[in-house]
Amino acid sequence: MKEMIEPKAKFPWGTLILSALAFLCAGVLVQRYVFGLGAMTNMSDGRGWGLWISFDLYCGVALAAGGFTLAAIVHIFHMEKYHPVVRPAILTAFLGYLLVVLALLVDLGQPWYIWRMIFNPNIHSPLYEVGWCVMLYTAVLALELSPAVFERLHWRIPLKIIGFIQIPLIIAGIVISTGHQNSLGSMLLIMTHSIDPLWYTPIIPALFFVSAMAVGPAMVVFEGTLSGAVFGHKISREVFTGLGRITSGILVVYLIMRLADLAVAGQLDMLFNRYPQNIYWWIEVGGGVILPIILFNIPKVQQSSKGMFIAAVLYIVLGLSLNRFIMSSIWLVIRPGYTYFPSWQEFAVSIGLVAWALMMFQIAVRLLPITKHHDEGESKSEHSAPEAAAAS
Amino acid sequence: MTNHWIDIRNADCVLIIGSNAAENHPICMKYVLQAQAKGAKVIHVDPRYSRTSARADMFIRIRTGTDIAFMGGMIYWILEDMRKNPGNYNLQYVQQYTNAAYIINSGIKLPGDEGQNGLFSVWDSTNSKYDTATWKYADPANATGESKLLTDNWSGWTSRAADEETAWGELNNNCVLKLLWRNYRRYDKATVSKITGIPQEKLEAVYAEYAKTGATGQAGTIMYAMGATQHTYAVQNIRAYSIVQLLLGNMGVAGGGVNALRGTSNVQGSTDQALLEHILPGYLKMTTDVDAHQTLAGYISNITPAATNPPGDLAGDNPVNWWKNTPKYVHSLLKAWWPDVALADSYNYLPKKRATGVNYTHMGLIEAIGKGGPDGVEGLWIWGQNPAAGGPTSLGARDALKKLKWMVASDIWFNETHTFWKRPDVDPSTIDTEVFLLPAAGSFEKEGSVSNSGRWVQWRYKAVEPPGEAIPDLDMMIQLFKRIRKLYDDEVKAGKTSVIPEPILNLSWDYSDEEEADVIAREMNGHALTADVPKSGAPGTFYEVGELIDWFNDLQPDGKTSSGNWLHCGQYTKASAADQQDYAELITVVNGIPSINKAKKRNVVDSSPSQVGLYPNWSWCWPRNRRIIYNRAAVDLNGNPWDAEHPVLAWNGTAWVGDVVDGGGNPINLAAAGSQNLPFIMNSEGVGKLWGYSLKDGPIPEVYEPWESPISNLMTAQQNDPAAYIGKLLVDGTDWNERGTVGDFPIIATTYRCTEHWQTGIMTRNLPWLAELMPKMYVELGADLADKLGIVSGDTVKVRSKRGEIHALAIVTKRFQAITVDGKEMHQVGIPWHWGYAGRVKGDSGNILTPSVGDANTCIPESKSFLCKVEKA
Amino acid sequence: MAYGVLFDGTRCIGCRACSVACKSWNENSAKVEKKTSVEGGIQGKAVVSSDTFTFMRYREIGEGDDFKWAFAKIQCMHCLKPGCETACIVGALHRNKETGAVTYDQGKCIGCRYCMVACPFGIPTYQWEDRTPWIRKCTFCSDRLNEAENGMAPACVTACPTRALQFGERDELIEEAHKRIEESKAADPAGVGKYIDHVYGEKEVGGTAWMYISSVDMTELDLPWLSEEPVTKNARTAMSLLPYYATGMLALMVGIYFITKRRQKIAAGKHEEKKG
Ligand SMILES: Nc1nc2c(c(=O)[nH]1)N[C@H]1C(S)=C(S)[C@@H](COP(=O)(O)OP(=O)(O)OC[C@H]3O[C@@H](n4cnc5c(=O)[nH]c(N)nc54)[C@H](O)[C@@H]3O)O[C@H]1N2
Ligand SMILES: Nc1nc2c(c(=O)[nH]1)N[C@H]1C(S)=C(S)[C@@H](COP(=O)(O)OP(=O)(O)OC[C@H]3O[C@@H](n4cnc5c(=O)[nH]c(N)nc54)[C@H](O)[C@@H]3O)O[C@H]1N2
Ligand code: SF4
Ligand code: SF4
Ligand code: SF4
Ligand code: SF4
Ligand code: SF4
Ligand SMILES: [Mo]
Repeated sequence: MKEMIEPKAKFPWGTLILSALAFLCAGVLVQRYVFGLGAMTNMSDGRGWGLWISFDLYCGVALAAGGFTLAAIVHIFHMEKYHPVVRPAILTAFLGYLLVVLALLVDLGQPWYIWRMIFNPNIHSPLYEVGWCVMLYTAVLALELSPAVFERLHWRIPLKIIGFIQIPLIIAGIVISTGHQNSLGSMLLIMTHSIDPLWYTPIIPALFFVSAMAVGPAMVVFEGTLSGAVFGHKISREVFTGLGRITSGILVVYLIMRLADLAVAGQLDMLFNRYPQNIYWWIEVGGGVILPIILFNIPKVQQSSKGMFIAAVLYIVLGLSLNRFIMSSIWLVIRPGYTYFPSWQEFAVSIGLVAWALMMFQIAVRLLPITKHHDEGESKSEHSAPEAAAAS
Repeated sequence: MTNHWIDIRNADCVLIIGSNAAENHPICMKYVLQAQAKGAKVIHVDPRYSRTSARADMFIRIRTGTDIAFMGGMIYWILEDMRKNPGNYNLQYVQQYTNAAYIINSGIKLPGDEGQNGLFSVWDSTNSKYDTATWKYADPANATGESKLLTDNWSGWTSRAADEETAWGELNNNCVLKLLWRNYRRYDKATVSKITGIPQEKLEAVYAEYAKTGATGQAGTIMYAMGATQHTYAVQNIRAYSIVQLLLGNMGVAGGGVNALRGTSNVQGSTDQALLEHILPGYLKMTTDVDAHQTLAGYISNITPAATNPPGDLAGDNPVNWWKNTPKYVHSLLKAWWPDVALADSYNYLPKKRATGVNYTHMGLIEAIGKGGPDGVEGLWIWGQNPAAGGPTSLGARDALKKLKWMVASDIWFNETHTFWKRPDVDPSTIDTEVFLLPAAGSFEKEGSVSNSGRWVQWRYKAVEPPGEAIPDLDMMIQLFKRIRKLYDDEVKAGKTSVIPEPILNLSWDYSDEEEADVIAREMNGHALTADVPKSGAPGTFYEVGELIDWFNDLQPDGKTSSGNWLHCGQYTKASAADQQDYAELITVVNGIPSINKAKKRNVVDSSPSQVGLYPNWSWCWPRNRRIIYNRAAVDLNGNPWDAEHPVLAWNGTAWVGDVVDGGGNPINLAAAGSQNLPFIMNSEGVGKLWGYSLKDGPIPEVYEPWESPISNLMTAQQNDPAAYIGKLLVDGTDWNERGTVGDFPIIATTYRCTEHWQTGIMTRNLPWLAELMPKMYVELGADLADKLGIVSGDTVKVRSKRGEIHALAIVTKRFQAITVDGKEMHQVGIPWHWGYAGRVKGDSGNILTPSVGDANTCIPESKSFLCKVEKA
Repeated sequence: MAYGVLFDGTRCIGCRACSVACKSWNENSAKVEKKTSVEGGIQGKAVVSSDTFTFMRYREIGEGDDFKWAFAKIQCMHCLKPGCETACIVGALHRNKETGAVTYDQGKCIGCRYCMVACPFGIPTYQWEDRTPWIRKCTFCSDRLNEAENGMAPACVTACPTRALQFGERDELIEEAHKRIEESKAADPAGVGKYIDHVYGEKEVGGTAWMYISSVDMTELDLPWLSEEPVTKNARTAMSLLPYYATGMLALMVGIYFITKRRQKIAAGKHEEKKG
């Protein structure tokens, strides 16, 4: 743990690398808008969706689920001990959604026509729902985050107003965000025969919802550990252990759903004979769901930040991200005659956007009462006000 | 085609041999498939499986160049089956309508006979040609017949059911049927299989299937094209089809016939108009420098055949001998060209080509160009052709072109020939030829007729204006001649006498400068020049002067009528009252008389009572709008159709109904003596020729090997067709036409087309949509061969023959497979020839590989069978 | 009532006249690719693209005497329940009930390309090389069909020399397809006939306007194996449940909020008590 906390060097390598990546991304974006998608991506008619959809949209949205989960845990379920991690989670979520929106503006063939969405509704399209939800939820997150800004600026009246609507806002946020976590799954429902049967199921939306719930606490563990290392502030072990428990609890439900779904479809045998897809399944579910469940529940692991971190990462990377990648890319059929592996520019955009987000996170944490906020968490004035307002 | 496209739907069996109908004549597959839907079997015989084979019920993989063995085997199979199961055949047809029973000169010797070594009697080795005297009928004026075959259902042939030797032994040794047996008994399935690579059981299956069409009322059609004709024994391939069709009673009937799927859209028209060196328009024989052709009378008597009267039971039947009308046609032609000149004089205007010593066909022409100088050819007018890519041995042909002083080309694109002087690897400064290109209007940019394979003369109108300075070829021709004539005129006026100006000055050529196609159509039809030309349609009346002639039988000798091409006489006539009513918009007033160009008719109703798809009022076809030639063979002696379901023709007691009857008159049994017309009116004997006597390389087909072959002839010691043309493409002392051996070039090659491209490709490689479908020159080879050579599909490979080397994209396919020939495994590969160095997408031409050798009779190059070697590039 | 096209593999000669006619009518440009396809034993276009709405697919199937060279024309199937239509975020893809054509309105499209992945047949394509790219696909030549009573058949159908493509009312075509299959069986002494007894597209994914019969199973021509359920079914069900979900979630959250709030207050009171 210690060595992770220790800054490696005085020279801001991290910032430098992040900036470099961010600027590379900006350069690539110029290329994208000047020469079009074909010039810089490996996407093709064979594969109309690439890295950006899998990573930025599918993983991005899911990984930003920390926002709604933590908000729900703290403000709805009133599990106050998690209060200190709400704001970082919301900030992460907000930046995450910003990243999603930006990525979509890169990915859309004609982003300047995005407004058409407003005038040409297709209520049957899950993407329509996702589109609206992403917009609304980003706005909600911004509002949820706004108290930090107002606090910093000592703007009392807006703070009051936000405080007043905080709970409705949070509930709206939960409904909207879980709604489109669902709908991201619903989007895949159309690919009845394109997604490998090991993953395709009519309950994809539910699975997406549950797995997204699980990722919230896991992300907090992950980010908390990292930001603890970077910014030096500490989150109590109890919170981590608790988050781990919550994650593993949800994951158990998730695992049962996955297995039950296969069992009901009579496809359990595919786990053993559908080669090579089953290998991916085992890596995803074995390594990314079952293993974290076990780890989160081993007392020794619970005691170790590293252990918790690893368990969280396993789920985030394998259990969730790999799952989204598998369904939106790896085991989604590609048209005959085509192959797809992202171009370096596609990677540059995805990574660059993350770099931008990280830098913004850095700045936000420095400028706004995000982590400090929980250090002062006990100071009544700051969160009792909204609570009181909501209660009244 | 003896029949026509739509008629294919009437067939009970379709034998596609030497044609890739689906790819090269896509439209005809509509009718093939219609026949198939009604139960007809479709058989495809080809070296490789193609898009045609994909639709066939039976695909027979054959070694290239072995069709005669295959067909000979079929003839033998049929003869034997006919002997044993006579009930399965239309023996009356064979007896009455073919020369099966005719007796041939006793001196006749067959290639398999003692001491013949693969040659017929009598080969004149000094002059390298046959003396054909022994091929003729024993008595040319009145044929003698094998009487046993002239009895009812051959009942006189009493030992017919005995063993083979005994049975056949009973027949006259020199009767045609026996001669066929004597020759083709050597073509047993074991031997044929060894030569062709077709397994014996497949031979049995295909022979049995096709022979079913021998039954009375059954029809089989044979569709062929370049797979049959591009061989040194091409015409004999077609003869083999004819023999089979006659034996099976398939000529003249609906759904039958020997059907050449002709090439370019108007190639039928081009041969009808004699764009060939051996004929004048309407298939009149070309004038040569032989003594007999020195005068008009001599020429006419030389080319007008005498009738051979049929023997035995048939005695009294009238052979008709249509060509007896030759004088009418020749005289009318001369009058069309030089109306104001006495016939004997205008005859002298006709050029007389040399009868021997010069080859006027394509290969001979290129050789003469290669020779250069005053002995050769110095200047070339090239009118819509691309010999630098389309002719054989392209590297040599291209090299030869540099000897030209000038070249004038009329074309719609720059092709390989026009740009030969700047082709890759050639230094333009070393070539002195001056090249002019006259931009021509394309086919949709001009008006005129196009004759399809079914002989339908279909009028087309201009759809769009030609681009830029392009004008129709016809306009070019008209203006060009006017200027030439002016030059002559000027010279005459200037008193120069070094040239013979009369043929040019006197030629009828008073056209306006543009769009005279309709006027030319009238000239081809012909009109009355005097007031005493009787009108057979209205006995006792006469044509007005200038009135278009109704049909060619009304043409007159002695210069009373003109006709630019007797075959077209009847296409453009005085409009009948019915025509004036039904086709008012087509009526043109010619010399004051309302007339109609029937090629313009577009009536989609099949008004023929028989409903066999004749569509008599859709365009017009020669001869006389007769849709099926030799249709008289479709009925029995009483005029009843053999096939009541598909009657081309039927006698209703007083008249013929259906198609325009061949030859006229009543059915044989109901006709007066002297007009008992036999069906094959174009033959001087009036019957179908199982046995022929007018080809250069034999009276019946015999197996020879291609010039470049992987084996020695398994049938006789004579390796190649003795009369084949072997080119010598000499340019500056180098003979480009070298012959490869199987040792160096172990793979059999054939060349062909694909749907996506046209000929040398210049017209399709320039069209983006077609170019993108098939941009690359390719070679197709079997997966088995490719494995051996380490080639995978998509590789670039080198294909070499003794005459050159090309690079091509390898298409490895299961459609090509090894065959077993004479016990040895052999591979064949397929090479298209649609590429060249001009145009939008480029590639090597398959013709770089092909040899300059040609058919004994027509000199068509043998581009379907040669040897090569394939390597990974 | 809607139109359809029946492709009969036993009538197709693979001539690609349909492909060229399509380009001609739609004024689609040509592009010579660096590496041409040699798939199925023939050189040529083997994919749909933004300027190729249809192509012929060739497959060499079987060995020896059973060898077959089979062809299939690939284009938009004009599904009765089109995945692309349900998918499209802005409703730019739409099935016309009268004609059955699923057409695209570029005036609505934003370029998300969801339609491309949502199509079970892999049909919509994109103008990747363009700065302002649009989706492109076969239109069923609706601009020809629409010409009121004077309506024409699609360009590709008109060009087909062998009537391997037949245009008509979908219901009638289905009847015709089964008739051909049955007649062929009846004509065959073995009772098999030349067709595989399946009309591809009659039922697949809820039915498609373009349908196939052939002597080989269409999956051998790499048409996807698909169940009869429309691809849109699950997604549409999910979407229709969304309002219920949202209401439920809302109620749940409000409920939990108040319950836990109370609990917390009680707990806080206890705490206070203890403290005190
Ligand atoms: N698309 C297209 N259509 C065309 C043309 C074109 O260039 N492109 N050209 C037109 C012209 S001018 C012509 S003449 C016709 C030609 O029409 P086709 O004769 O059909 O043309 P090819 O493709 O040259 O040859 C036909 C078949 O003969 C086979 N073959 C080769 N050798 C032999 C053999 O020894 N025996 C047998 N039985 N078969 C053999 C070949 O494998 C090939 O499948 O097509 C006309 N139509
Ligand atoms: N190896 C091999 N070689 C072959 C064959 C084969 O099967 N194998 N087949 C042979 C056969 S059957 C044929 S027919 C020949 C064909 O050989 P060519 O006739 O030499 O070939 P094309 O490419 O048809 O050339 C026709 C030319 O006419 C031009 N043209 C088109 N329309 C017009 C017009 O309206 N007016 C004018 N003035 N020009 C026009 C075209 O642009 C083109 O340059 O090739 C033969 N060569
Ligand atoms: S190319 Fe022209 S002539 Fe040949 S089949 Fe097609 S339509 Fe007929
Ligand atoms: S085939 Fe694809 S693009 Fe065509 S209608 Fe069906 S789902 Fe839409
Ligand atoms: S790319 Fe256009 S047509 Fe396709 S789903 Fe998106 S908005 Fe609709
Ligand atoms: S229906 Fe029209 S757009 Fe579709 S493939 Fe046929 S020609 Fe092309
Ligand atoms: S046009 Fe007709 S026959 Fe030709 S490839 Fe297309 S569907 Fe097949
Ligand atoms: Mo030809």
